[in-house]
Amino acid sequence: MIYKVSYVVRGGSHPGAILDAETVPQVGDTVTFGGQVFRIVEVMELMPSRAGFGFLHATCVPVQEIGDEEA
Amino acid sequence: MPVTDLLQSVALFSGLTAEELEAVAGICVERHYPAGSTIIQQGDMGDEMYVIQSGQVDILLVGYRSERPVVVLGKGQILGEMSLVDHGYRSATARATEPTAVQVLRRDDFTSLCERDTHIGYVVMRNLAADISFKLRHQHLATM
Repeated sequence: MIYKVSYVVRGGSHPGAILDAETVPQVGDTVTFGGQVFRIVEVMELMPSRAGFGFLHATCVPVQEIGDEEA
Repeated sequence: MPVTDLLQSVALFSGLTAEELEAVAGICVERHYPAGSTIIQQGDMGDEMYVIQSGQVDILLVGYRSERPVVVLGKGQILGEMSLVDHGYRSATARATEPTAVQVLRRDDFTSLCERDTHIGYVVMRNLAADISFKLRHQHLATM
């Protein structure tokens, strides 16, 4: 199964990305796009899977922002 | 990587047989873009669609004095599909953010293939509609 994932960055600080993944992204995973690292905070199905492809949505936050939140 | 292996991993071509994937591969042309180079220029006329083989691409809306990033696309995603379907001007600029390889499908070749083999035409057009739907859903969530 290949997963097409819509990554949206919480707070609108980045326009997000559409990337393929070989496994279902998990909350806590990191993903890199546009030269920045993001941590996933939510994953949901965006469209029903079809013909070996899954269609997911993940909300994420910049890793720096997580550090800010923990500080 | 053989082109058919790439195409098999792209949602746009899901549901095609091995022979049909070979036929699609036959009209693909590989092209490479260095980081920072423009693949598509907003406002240009376009007759090509691109499948990202490797790398990442920024999609940008360009205004008079500024440009606004819309989304980043990675391996397996397609770009340029709107002009391929509606024959209109390019609606956005696409710029490689890292060394990027794409497979290029020219409109005339793609249309001829779809007309010659209507199963390919039906499956790919259905998947193309689903891809545009996915991008719309992404935009809706991104603007919430």
